[in-house]
Amino acid sequence: MVSSVKTLGWTETVLRVDLSARKSWRDAIPRDLLHAYLGGRGLGVRFMRDHFRLNPFDAEIPLIFSVGPLCGTPAPTAARLTVVTRSPLTGTIYDCSAGGRFAWRLKGAGLDAVVVTGRSAVPVALVISPDGAEIVEVPQLWGRTVPDTVSALSGRGSVAAIGPAGEKGVLFANIMMGEGNSVGRGGLGAVMGAKNLKAVVASGDRQTGIADPQRFDVARQDVMRLFRASPIIFGELGISEYGTPALVDLMRQRRMVPTENFRRTVFEASGNYSGPAIRRDYNARKDGCYGCPIQCKKSTPEGEPLPEYETVSHFGALNGIASLASIVRSNTLCNELGLDTISAAATLSAWGEARGRFPTADEVPGLLRDTAMRVGEGELLALGSCRVAERLGRPELSMSVKGLELPAYDPRGAYGMALAYCTSNRGGCHLRAYPISHEILRKPVPTDRFSFSGKARIIAIAEDTNAAVDSLVACKFSFFGATLEEYAELLAATTGVDYSPQSLKEIGRRICLTERFYNCTNGFGMKDDLLPERFFAEPGSSGEGIEIPPVDRTRFAEELQKYYRIRGLTTEGTFDDPDFLLNQP
Amino acid sequence: MLGQIARFTNKLIADHSAHPREIAFAAQDDIIVADGNPELARLAGELLSRLSCLGMAVARPALPFADFLVARTPRDESHIVPRDTETRTFLHDIPFLRRGALGDDPAAKIARLLGNRKGIIVEGTGIVASGALTVEQAYINWSSIFHSAFVKYLQDVLHGGFLLPGEAEAFDAFRRGWLRPLTAEGLVFREGPLTDPGEILDEIAAVGRYTVERGLVDSFFGNISCKSGGVIYISQTAASLDALDGCIDPVPTDNSSTFGITASSELLAHRRIYEQSGASTILHGHPKFAVVMSMECAERNCTVTDCWKDCDRVRFLGDTPVVAGEIGAGGLAKRVPPVIAGPRKAVVYGHGVFTVGERGFGDAFRSMVEVENWCRDAYFRALEGKLAKG
Repeated sequence: MVSSVKTLGWTETVLRVDLSARKSWRDAIPRDLLHAYLGGRGLGVRFMRDHFRLNPFDAEIPLIFSVGPLCGTPAPTAARLTVVTRSPLTGTIYDCSAGGRFAWRLKGAGLDAVVVTGRSAVPVALVISPDGAEIVEVPQLWGRTVPDTVSALSGRGSVAAIGPAGEKGVLFANIMMGEGNSVGRGGLGAVMGAKNLKAVVASGDRQTGIADPQRFDVARQDVMRLFRASPIIFGELGISEYGTPALVDLMRQRRMVPTENFRRTVFEASGNYSGPAIRRDYNARKDGCYGCPIQCKKSTPEGEPLPEYETVSHFGALNGIASLASIVRSNTLCNELGLDTISAAATLSAWGEARGRFPTADEVPGLLRDTAMRVGEGELLALGSCRVAERLGRPELSMSVKGLELPAYDPRGAYGMALAYCTSNRGGCHLRAYPISHEILRKPVPTDRFSFSGKARIIAIAEDTNAAVDSLVACKFSFFGATLEEYAELLAATTGVDYSPQSLKEIGRRICLTERFYNCTNGFGMKDDLLPERFFAEPGSSGEGIEIPPVDRTRFAEELQKYYRIRGLTTEGTFDDPDFLLNQP
Repeated sequence: MLGQIARFTNKLIADHSAHPREIAFAAQDDIIVADGNPELARLAGELLSRLSCLGMAVARPALPFADFLVARTPRDESHIVPRDTETRTFLHDIPFLRRGALGDDPAAKIARLLGNRKGIIVEGTGIVASGALTVEQAYINWSSIFHSAFVKYLQDVLHGGFLLPGEAEAFDAFRRGWLRPLTAEGLVFREGPLTDPGEILDEIAAVGRYTVERGLVDSFFGNISCKSGGVIYISQTAASLDALDGCIDPVPTDNSSTFGITASSELLAHRRIYEQSGASTILHGHPKFAVVMSMECAERNCTVTDCWKDCDRVRFLGDTPVVAGEIGAGGLAKRVPPVIAGPRKAVVYGHGVFTVGERGFGDAFRSMVEVENWCRDAYFRALEGKLAKG
């Protein structure tokens, strides 16, 4: 029963959907759970407590769409949601946040979360409105691309859909938002496909209440002032102007561009796909998530989304491809087919090195289609780089951690990044602790990228901070300017509940440890918190006065142990207390 | 960690902002280390054990202004609101704890308040500031609060006079003992035009050090650049002016590359100043008296309330124009370039001073010294006038 007296910010309501039984119903979410986990990632992780041991393709595994208390308010960058389940690619607990109109429309339907379990016998779409939810058979959409699916359903609301890759169970299939945003990495699209769920459509338009509008407005102005003061956000060379490809030139200058499957760290032709090159060649215009003032995404005048930094770098340098046109085509194909661009490009790269030749620009489109459809070479490539490399007898060529392909920051060029790739609960991800922010972008303050000193503590704090951010749900790019201080104010003003940066970090710590506990219970430990051997054995591309030596194995191990101590873990990175979860709200 | 603590302790001593014997820092990795004044170090360590951050600075300011501000604030208020740009942008306001509110467990009280903010004032103890990621960040936050409290106190005294016992004497000691003569005498500047990249980087680093060593700016505030050919060499964002080696970005003027994304947030202002002034160098700092005086306005019955961003008038401090405008992507980059071309100097409301050099940095540096000295004299003249009126 939903309480009649609601806390502002939250709807206190979850929509539960059982696709096997073809039924859905709304439940109340206990208020103390919302206070303790906020929403988004935190709430989704909490909802996984009784299900985290399930195989990701088990019909009963929940697929959770969860918004946050700031969604639906004018809080900058907060029109986002998180999708949570267990990853078929990594086997870890997995969450991914995405922007777009969908999150706002879901919240507007009076929901903090949707939990989908079961498996439909035929392809269906879940259509959610403020008045209820409908499970609609859509066999005619099965096999259709993401744009076709979105086009077919957009009359009923904002769409989150899978493409052929999700239907076929590609282990790095995305869920795509209708506006081009992706719930990426980790293969959550494959989990959705295994449920025969082609799309979720949301059409709510309810307002999110704000407890103290005046306080909210002051905090919002503080955030915007910090955005304007940040060269990374609104600087003339920043992401608002050039999108994340603004990083291409910087990473080249720092000599940490993963090139040819991380064999080198400089790609001479990277200027072909830099931010200015994309703007020049594609007449790029500003685009972005609903209600976001930054507008870091870029698209063509016709509205075709242009690739982000990770995508240009991995379809470019990582595969030795210099053609921007080819990279843009690869990005578009991945979006249409519902493939994750980082994992797709990294898998091609590992496969290329294993067979002695990286794919050419002309070969990539066919390989991507084959991957999504799981035909020909694509049957193997659909498994991700870790399984591909193992099956080719060259496991060392998968540049991944816990099976998740590393993004476009070479860990030999940033030691906090090296550690954070390994401590990340979802595998080799740059966004959990995001040390690039301080090691490269100097925000909020610079740290020495070639030093491990202090990095264990910094990574732990940043993981906690970002877990809270992912639960609000806000975009991490906000924190190139703003801090938790301003977002705690926004949250307190919205909900009427007192939060501070410190209390948010404590919530973040609870979320991170819960995720780690799930993973450890499923067999993960120190053996999985490790970089590929290449980074300890081979140097990067030194030059221009910058040395890129291999990562110091001893210092790495010392810092990892420090991280475990800071987290209260054993020397094996596991939990002493088997009842850890019982002590959590 | 101990090396970092020693470095930033020495910086607080060198810039005369803290009592040399009442400084402590703490830092935590997998263990907590603290150093400095034993009592304050113990407090810093206790605070760190209760908060999710890496660094902590606890130090008594060399000037009693922060405590005076607390004492001058009505009893029912819990924070002060300096009007300068740094406070507005980064701190918003400054919370404080009164001496009598600390109770039996001061660390708990302080940690509770500090858990909300980057730094606070604890009456009778000093400024307490945390650093989420580094010891340097704790130092920066401490230094920012010191700067903001300094500016606010000078403003408050100018408008309200001395209200507390001992204030006048302490202020006199500040004026006669703490303030140092501001001069460019004895400094060596390279003659321009500067064309060799190595030479440019060296000169920028040297001039950055001069600005701090001469007390013209606090180390964290300000930025500096030199234009040569099609490149602007500019200090990076979050760079300390006295530690610019390796922290200068060469940015192409045609925006053909974005690796200058890490350049100072004032890159756009610098670019436009070069375009409109034809200068070769730019120096930007936040000298305190210029910041204070920039906010003194004789206008009456003015309808503008957010003067710092909405005032479209050009006022003057002597012969130096003063304009309003937010930092970064705000209005500063639009309003400064048109007014700086003639006088080669400009002040931004509540923010700081821009000066330009024709060939090298010598004239830009001397110009900034002159502006700050003029503002210093103007401040004390105005204060004496105020006090004489009673």
